[in-house]
Amino acid sequence: MNIFLLLVYGVVNLVFVVLVSPLFISLIKKVKARAQRRQGPPILQTYRNLVKLLKKETVYSENSSWIMRATPLVNLAAILTASLFVPLLVVPEPTDLIGNIILFLYLLALAKFFMALAGLDAGSVFGGMGSSREMAILALFEPVIIVVFAALAFAYKTVNIPDIFRGALASNVLVNPVMILIAASIFIVIIVESARIPVDNPETHLELTMVHEAMILEQSGKNLAMLELSSAMKQTLLMGVLINTLIPWGLATDFSAPAILFSLALFLVKAVVLAVAIGLFESSCAKYRLFRLPGLFAFALFLSIITLIIEVFA
Amino acid sequence: MIIAPTENILQILVVLVLATAAIIITKRDIRSLIKTYALQSLLLAVMALVLFVVTGSLTLLCLAAIILVSKVWIIPLFMGQVYKKLNIKRDTQFHFLSPITALFVSIFIILFVYLSFSTLLSELSRFNPNLFFLGATVGVSILFMGMIVIFSRKQTLTNIVGYLTMENGVVLFSLSLTELPLLIEFLIILDLIMLTLIATILAFGIDSTIEEFHAQLNPFAYSKDGKSQKTLEDER
Amino acid sequence: MDTPTLVLAIYALIAVVVLAATVLSKSHRIMNTLAVGLSASYITLTLYALLSVDLPAYGLVSNYFLIDHLSIYEILIAAILFLFAAVYAREYVESSIETNEMNRSNLKLFYVAFNLLLITIVYAFLADSLALFWILAELTTAFSAVLIVTLNAPKNIVATLKYIFITSTCMLFAFIGLILIFTLTQNNLGVGTLNWSILMTIANTLSPAIMFAAFIFTFVGFAAKSGIVPFHAWLPSAHSKAPAPVSAILSGAITSVGIYGIIRIYAVASQTSELPKISWFLVSFGLLSMAVAALSMLNQVNLKKLIGYSTVENMGFLLVGLGLGTTTAIFWMLFYILAHAFTKASLFFSAGILHHQFQSVRLARIKNAFKLQPFASWGLIVGVTAMTGVPLFAIFLPKFSLLIESAVVSPVLLLGLLVIFLLVAAAFGIFMVRLFSHSEKAYDSDLKPFRAGWNMKIPIVVLIAVVFILGVVFPEQLTDFLNAIVLELGVK
Repeated sequence: MNIFLLLVYGVVNLVFVVLVSPLFISLIKKVKARAQRRQGPPILQTYRNLVKLLKKETVYSENSSWIMRATPLVNLAAILTASLFVPLLVVPEPTDLIGNIILFLYLLALAKFFMALAGLDAGSVFGGMGSSREMAILALFEPVIIVVFAALAFAYKTVNIPDIFRGALASNVLVNPVMILIAASIFIVIIVESARIPVDNPETHLELTMVHEAMILEQSGKNLAMLELSSAMKQTLLMGVLINTLIPWGLATDFSAPAILFSLALFLVKAVVLAVAIGLFESSCAKYRLFRLPGLFAFALFLSIITLIIEVFA
Repeated sequence: MIIAPTENILQILVVLVLATAAIIITKRDIRSLIKTYALQSLLLAVMALVLFVVTGSLTLLCLAAIILVSKVWIIPLFMGQVYKKLNIKRDTQFHFLSPITALFVSIFIILFVYLSFSTLLSELSRFNPNLFFLGATVGVSILFMGMIVIFSRKQTLTNIVGYLTMENGVVLFSLSLTELPLLIEFLIILDLIMLTLIATILAFGIDSTIEEFHAQLNPFAYSKDGKSQKTLEDER
Repeated sequence: MDTPTLVLAIYALIAVVVLAATVLSKSHRIMNTLAVGLSASYITLTLYALLSVDLPAYGLVSNYFLIDHLSIYEILIAAILFLFAAVYAREYVESSIETNEMNRSNLKLFYVAFNLLLITIVYAFLADSLALFWILAELTTAFSAVLIVTLNAPKNIVATLKYIFITSTCMLFAFIGLILIFTLTQNNLGVGTLNWSILMTIANTLSPAIMFAAFIFTFVGFAAKSGIVPFHAWLPSAHSKAPAPVSAILSGAITSVGIYGIIRIYAVASQTSELPKISWFLVSFGLLSMAVAALSMLNQVNLKKLIGYSTVENMGFLLVGLGLGTTTAIFWMLFYILAHAFTKASLFFSAGILHHQFQSVRLARIKNAFKLQPFASWGLIVGVTAMTGVPLFAIFLPKFSLLIESAVVSPVLLLGLLVIFLLVAAAFGIFMVRLFSHSEKAYDSDLKPFRAGWNMKIPIVVLIAVVFILGVVFPEQLTDFLNAIVLELGVK
């Protein structure tokens, strides 16, 4: 396996994820705004927000400790590492170095864990509340995530994400029937992980409804920019998992420029469609009361377990 | 897994039907239950159509037409009308099983049905193994899931949707295995319509009585005198 | 056309005529007389078929119908039951209308459903195609539900809904079983069939495992119709809320439809190698029903519910008999169906008179029963005695013989059955004692004695007389007849 190609893949993937994630965030906001008959912010607004935040001063509370300073960096680092695991444009040769699905989940969990600690760190009420809600939701949802990804792994008989994508590419069907179940479950995972309605409202700062926003309430300046970017990237990565397993057609396997460009164009199209779907889904329902969330999780769990049953016993 | 396209489509449809059944178990709003049931019947009609295109048997075409007319259109329409007339527009309450537990129970049921069918149906060799097995398992699983809906919900309309789901499960089962002569199925559906008519009219009778309404407004009265105020249970 | 098809056509013709006349008629008397006429004509027609048709006749009317000994037997029982119920209903319904339990506007619906129910039951017994039988059984559910719900009380609606849901749900299971059988035959023969007559001939070539699975599924469906535990939940409430003639029909005819279905499927499935498993299955369910019913009876305060649970117990006993599977067992089981139907009907009729007197069938409300209603009280006592199997009444012989058969199989089974019968008799005894010892010195002055007319008394008398005669004298023709049925069912 060519180290050089691996490096190229890493750089391409990282740069792409960093560049394209804010686009999807604004796109979803735009769709939601249009659904409410508003204009909504322009598509490139998130980029402008991030640049603006980078220029601003970072303020730390007197009661905060090293966690507050370290969390944005840990978060960004974890998500950046995780982004190496999910090939969006071109799938590298199979290797044990990167791509393990369990490690991927652990990286995401690490990021969330530090974010929850940072929410507690500043000593404000909102932060504590957000952290406790986030941890409660996550305590119920982590098993579901693991089962969903386990179903994915069983479906393609491997725990290596690039291998999963290769397997999806290799099967000749347009849409694998079992994938519909997994796709629905991964969709629910995206909704929960990127803190969207019906789990959490990403646009509100009302005490009643915020979970993720509460945790990053105390952050400012560069830290806030890093945290916003990392959550955008997390969403893009999960979207990539969904897209490349459900409709993998067009994913490049060799490193030639035309293949990668073609794959990029196709990925953008698919991701835009998915983002619009997420936006429409968000617009179609209200935020659930917290005790109704387990119903949603159980539905995802149900679909994944059915997949597991079909895959394991068939 | 390389599969021929039509089998692929059929398997997708079967899997979607299973998903709709899961939705019916967890949903509480009666209006969306009726819509989900209509969607489920639509999927079955599409499945019958695809099978017709593949095998060319006219029976399947007629079956698809009947399902479309009666189960996607007439029955949901009728239930919608009854629902509008009822006083109780609130969401349903649960008897024994909350939706989450019901989902878990149905997972076990599906597993059980899968295992028993795999040993049992290997003897029937004439049929296409993939679709047949999946369709039969999902059909019987939906039968059980509909049964869970019936005995875990209080509102009569939800019970009716559960019964209709069971009926869909039977139709799916028979579609995957074989086609019965049309006359029989036509009569069955007529039968079903009649039962639904009777049941909904009777449900009308229940939900408009004063005692039932008071009982549902005061859930705490239940525990106080120890008398059961639940629907479909008798006083001693 | 040949005689069997002619007979079938005449059934239909009479049905159409009577139904049309009922719809057009305006007075209660005419409707009732039409109902009586329907059952009477069906009895005569069936007897004619018994004498003139070359039995068994399978595959009539393009393979949908049959006439064999079992169908004639069941039709006769059902039609006689309907006859008595119609005669009884004449006055019962009038009194119900007077006490406002029923609306006069519902009368036509009642009688139309009544007649339709008989017609559907008759054709169900005549069905060769199992799918047709299934449809007709579902239709009986619908029509009997209409009969239950014609009373004004809202509790009737609850009971009816429970009945419809439980039976229809389980019948869906039965349908799956039928599909399995169809697929199995299609696999083996190339053309699927649900004809009982054809299935009987090819049964031993069919795969035993699938046949067993199909048996279980169909059993679920028909067991719900006959009130086997755990599908019996509808039975006590439906029987106690329905008017007395309807309860009699429910216990005698509808449950027979269920048992008939189980018998037919058993006849097919018993030819495969899974017979031991099937027998165990039937015996366990039978015992379960009997145990649950017996224990529930001990605590009852509602007379009609008590009688309803007794039906559950008897159906369980029928299953045990079917499970034992020897020719003697099946013979006596068939006779038990007859004896049970008639005795149960007389019990319900007596309870109906008491209901009209006291406006209730609960222990707390029935006072001075002997003083106010001596006839009904004696009817009840004699009926209960007959029901528990006292000798000289019809139920004694089959019960005794089936007990001996069970002892041959296993002494433990015999012991279990005896204990259950003891519990049942005790339950009946306790209830009777409490019922008749409930008296007050000065009874309510506004509780005027209900005059039960001869319409209500004659069915009770005749039924008890028949039960007594059958218990004392077992006619030779009946023996031959029942033996012919056992032969046709292929029991070895």
